[in-house]
Amino acid sequence: MTEVPVKIEFNKEWIVTKLAVSEDRLVIPAPINKEILFKSVLDVSEKKSILIITVKTDVEVVYKILSVEKVLQFLKVRILPLCNAYRLMAYFMSPAIRGGVMIKEASWEKGSVVVVKSGIWFVSAAKQISVPITEVAAIELTKRDVQGKPTEVIKIDYLESAEVVSSLVLCPISTLQVLYNFLKDTTKSMDMKGTELDGVDQQVAMLVYSGMDSHAIENMLTIPHKQLDQIYDKILSLGLAEVVVIRREIQLSPKGVRYITDATKSQTN
Amino acid sequence: MGKILIVDDTLFMRTLVKNILFTGGHSIAGEAGDGEEAIAKYKELKPDLVTMDIVMPKMNGIEALKGIKAIDPAAKIIMCTAVGQEQMVKLAIKSGAKGYIVKPFQAPKVLEEVKNVLAS
Repeated sequence: MTEVPVKIEFNKEWIVTKLAVSEDRLVIPAPINKEILFKSVLDVSEKKSILIITVKTDVEVVYKILSVEKVLQFLKVRILPLCNAYRLMAYFMSPAIRGGVMIKEASWEKGSVVVVKSGIWFVSAAKQISVPITEVAAIELTKRDVQGKPTEVIKIDYLESAEVVSSLVLCPISTLQVLYNFLKDTTKSMDMKGTELDGVDQQVAMLVYSGMDSHAIENMLTIPHKQLDQIYDKILSLGLAEVVVIRREIQLSPKGVRYITDATKSQTN
Repeated sequence: MGKILIVDDTLFMRTLVKNILFTGGHSIAGEAGDGEEAIAKYKELKPDLVTMDIVMPKMNGIEALKGIKAIDPAAKIIMCTAVGQEQMVKLAIKSGAKGYIVKPFQAPKVLEEVKNVLAS
């Protein structure tokens, strides 16, 4: 049994405590007094320095554990291999591409891919990377050169701090197909037909992806702002984007006209 | 900041890359719509860097890369590839490409790659 210092959220308060961690369970001392078997953990996610675990006994209970990175890493390494999840041994490269640029120092790591209710984890002794399902943009079977041979891999694209990141998973082809189907099924709420947007709409979406603002898009595609607004409405209604800034157009009031007229006079005098 | 030649068979992608490069303070030496034109424009314009699409009519990006490298072994070329063309990227790197970006791309990352290759 190893004890680690943590803060656990209980009754909307953070309790400073020492969590006892054994091979198969966590023991939370008073005032919480709970034993959590790893196999009863249904979901594991991470937000900043908080590890969130959902445990199913009679009802589902969510525990939020706050600690330093080293402690959280220790907990993840213990919980993820035994929790209630779809899990398989695999090689992964995460991240492999960031913002469309391949990461040169990226390499294959031996570990496992763990799919829980809210996300996909890439787990090795050194790394535990979580990809929330809600951030997954695409999953596809593709080919990569592995040791000089074109090899089938799964490529998972997801958003991380507004940047599109891709990770790759490599395992035997039969397992790969099962994992691919499982991941596709898990993320099927994100699937679309591909015909929802026409040519110009798609160009607008791609320019938004590239980081262009409304003004740049209007200039580049030579479209009026009303048309761009209509395309934005379409993209928004399909759930493909969210509004981050609302730009306003204004017209001067009589007071404003007087002010600017006076300002011009004083400049010319 | 560099003088850059943009090679892509679609006007849309050329305009997109041009806009991204402008926002990064680079100047555009010129544009080409296929591999043959890329080699001709390279000879004429002597850019600091080339962004080269891989799949193009007449002559593809890999052949154009080899053609430019034959004229100027020190040429700095970044390959622009679509998802699933990673095999081509490897071939391009073997043929002397200095970097690669995958479409669709995001402006900050493209500028970072351009900066790295220009500094190399």
